[in-house]
Amino acid sequence: MAKEMFLAGCSSAAYGAMLSRVEVISSYPIRPYTGIMMELSKLVANGELDAEFVHGEGEHAQVSIAYGASAAGARAYTGSSGVGVTYAMECYSPAAGGRLPCQMAIADRALDPPGDFGSEHTDVMSARDQGWIMGWAADPQEVLDNTIMYFKIGEDARVLLPQFCCQDGYFVSHIPGKVSIPDQKAVDEYLPPFNNPHPLDPTKPVSHGPQIFPDQGPAIDLQRAQAFIDTPKVIEEAVADFNKQFGRNYDPFLEEYMTDDAEFVFFLQGGHARTARFAVNHLREKGVKAGMVRLRFMRPFPTEAVAESLSKFKAVGTIETSTSYGGAMKGGNLIHEVRSALYDVPNPPPVTSFMAGLGGEVVSLEEFYSMAKVLTQAAKDGKVDQYVYWVNFDKV
Amino acid sequence: MAKAVETQNLEMAKSARRVPQEEWYLPGHRTCQGCGPALTYKLVSKATGGDSIFLGPTGCMYVANTSYLCSPWAYPWMHTQITNAGAVASGIEAAYQVLIRKGKYKGKLPNIVCMAGDGGSIDIGLQAMSGMMYRGHDALFIMYDNESYANTGIQTSPATPYGANTTFTPPGKAIPEGKVLFPKDACQLVIGGHPAVHYVATASLAYPVDLINKVRKALNYKGPTFVHIHSPCPKGWLFDAKKTVEVAKLAIETGMWVNYEWENGEYTYQHTPKEYKPVAGYMKGQQRFAHLTDAHIAKMQAFIDAKLKAPGIPVALPVQGPRES
Ligand SMILES: Cc1ncc(C[n+]2csc(CCOP(=O)(O)OP(=O)(O)O)c2C)c(N)n1
Ligand code: SF4
Ligand SMILES: [Mg+2]
Repeated sequence: MAKEMFLAGCSSAAYGAMLSRVEVISSYPIRPYTGIMMELSKLVANGELDAEFVHGEGEHAQVSIAYGASAAGARAYTGSSGVGVTYAMECYSPAAGGRLPCQMAIADRALDPPGDFGSEHTDVMSARDQGWIMGWAADPQEVLDNTIMYFKIGEDARVLLPQFCCQDGYFVSHIPGKVSIPDQKAVDEYLPPFNNPHPLDPTKPVSHGPQIFPDQGPAIDLQRAQAFIDTPKVIEEAVADFNKQFGRNYDPFLEEYMTDDAEFVFFLQGGHARTARFAVNHLREKGVKAGMVRLRFMRPFPTEAVAESLSKFKAVGTIETSTSYGGAMKGGNLIHEVRSALYDVPNPPPVTSFMAGLGGEVVSLEEFYSMAKVLTQAAKDGKVDQYVYWVNFDKV
Repeated sequence: MAKAVETQNLEMAKSARRVPQEEWYLPGHRTCQGCGPALTYKLVSKATGGDSIFLGPTGCMYVANTSYLCSPWAYPWMHTQITNAGAVASGIEAAYQVLIRKGKYKGKLPNIVCMAGDGGSIDIGLQAMSGMMYRGHDALFIMYDNESYANTGIQTSPATPYGANTTFTPPGKAIPEGKVLFPKDACQLVIGGHPAVHYVATASLAYPVDLINKVRKALNYKGPTFVHIHSPCPKGWLFDAKKTVEVAKLAIETGMWVNYEWENGEYTYQHTPKEYKPVAGYMKGQQRFAHLTDAHIAKMQAFIDAKLKAPGIPVALPVQGPRES
């Protein structure tokens, strides 16, 4: 029987990892993700989880330990935040290119400078093109569920890719919520043991990661790209199975909130969705037809699902919790993906972006209302005046 | 019930004849003629045998060996970054510990061997190597020492000797010696700060049976071990490719290299000559030292004389650092 507990995202991730029966864990301290490892170290020390708990000497080592363990055939788990995520940058491509499906929990944190503890997605968004599956949970329940689901997706023989299982620092990692913890037996039924098809095993020698000549490069890169092309189908299956097994109700790629008759939507990922839902409710009370669409996977980016969903509305505003300094839209990253997905849609809605929540600042209800003003006008005019609005700084 | 992890027990080779004929490092690679590290690799592979997993951080022994679709390894082999051999080895070892304990892997714990260059061991790879040593993983870290960042075109590393001409330490009017610093002591780094380590050795490709037995001894120890192997590089040191073994021998005869074992705190020395030859003879045979004056060579001799008072043990050296004079 599932049991209910009151858990913050960090503990919830740790329980997800325990239920996934992770075999090698590599740690290094950095706030806010540290809580995950503090919880796991207790579970290992108490004998509740039989795993090797390896104290990495830094995040670069953490990821190296995790993908080494995965290469040897073990289910491996690690995690980080902020500058820890970027410190390990060299190791992401070898893990993905080696098709080693270890998992890295991320509780986002702003990078230095200015050096604060708040949640900003720039840390792991900087690694979005390294070949890892990547997506955000909005609450502790989804953190636990994603932890289990990501192993199922990443270890599928059609996929074999490592995963960034992300949650906002503090907003999700440190704010407790009700979490239904599934039964170990039910999880075992859902998630079979990891079976690495090419482990480092002296009885079946293989070479991992040899050097190629440039003319061999395109074919190998195509295989990696193909894995991402095949992944959405696996995600659909894994989410459907999960919903069935555990009585949940996830859409594989997008959470839509009050979108049936919405004129415009906020488009975002992660924990700010909880404030966005309140904002939408309040706006509706005032007669404003707002809605919200929350992205559940940044990689693979669900192009078709996003195009289909967003083409229903008269205006879209992406809420950027990461930076792309000097980028095409002069602000964040989400808008690049959204505009690309909508490019071939006939009469696409106007799309603008809002820089909000940077440095881990709360995105307040007032801020949502001011964004709603911009989007109401855009829906009326059928166009946007700016690619990007810096909320509280730009006049709206 | 959790299963006990069974580890390796390799026999010592009594003579060159008793070394297995079988090869695990096969022909077909692209190392230079006379490559010392390649010979070292061959000997290390004979020592470990096939129940092994090798890790090759970026460097000559990765790049010149491991071409896609024709890699020369008969045991499982994995590339690591130049930075992280010790960490990847730690992950593999941890995985085998848990997989054997849970009965998912039926054999003994394989020999887990990092074959790292000097850069991948004690410069950019130092942190990961130290992490593996500190945590006590049952794995062997070998530093094949060709005394430079060879694969990138012979740049100075912390193992490069004083006075060497490398592509980052060219001798010139302002800096006539080329390299001005004396090398880091690799074994001391390991011995000095890692309580889990019980065996550290130096070896030379000029003494293959000794090399093989040191590798086996290291593997038979439970826990992390370190073997530092002198491996002359004709391309980087600029000597005739047929003299690799000769150069390695001369290094021992002049005291440029000392073979020793450190076992649970005790030092023993091997191949100590009755009388050391002057280092000038060693340096004259290599073009990388061709620009040096007699005064520079005397400075090198003073360094060696001081070291030979207690090889492998740190002593105050009579040489000044570049900012001390
Ligand atoms: C992070 C990183 N920096 C730099 C390099 C470039 N690089 C490739 S091989 C190499 C030299 C390695 O030297 P060493 O470890 O001594 O091995 P050797 O080539 O001498 O055998 C370097 C610096 C790299 N591969 N990765
Ligand atoms: S440069 Fe030196 S170490 Fe590299 S392959 Fe050539 S001889 Fe061997
Ligand atoms: Mg080298």
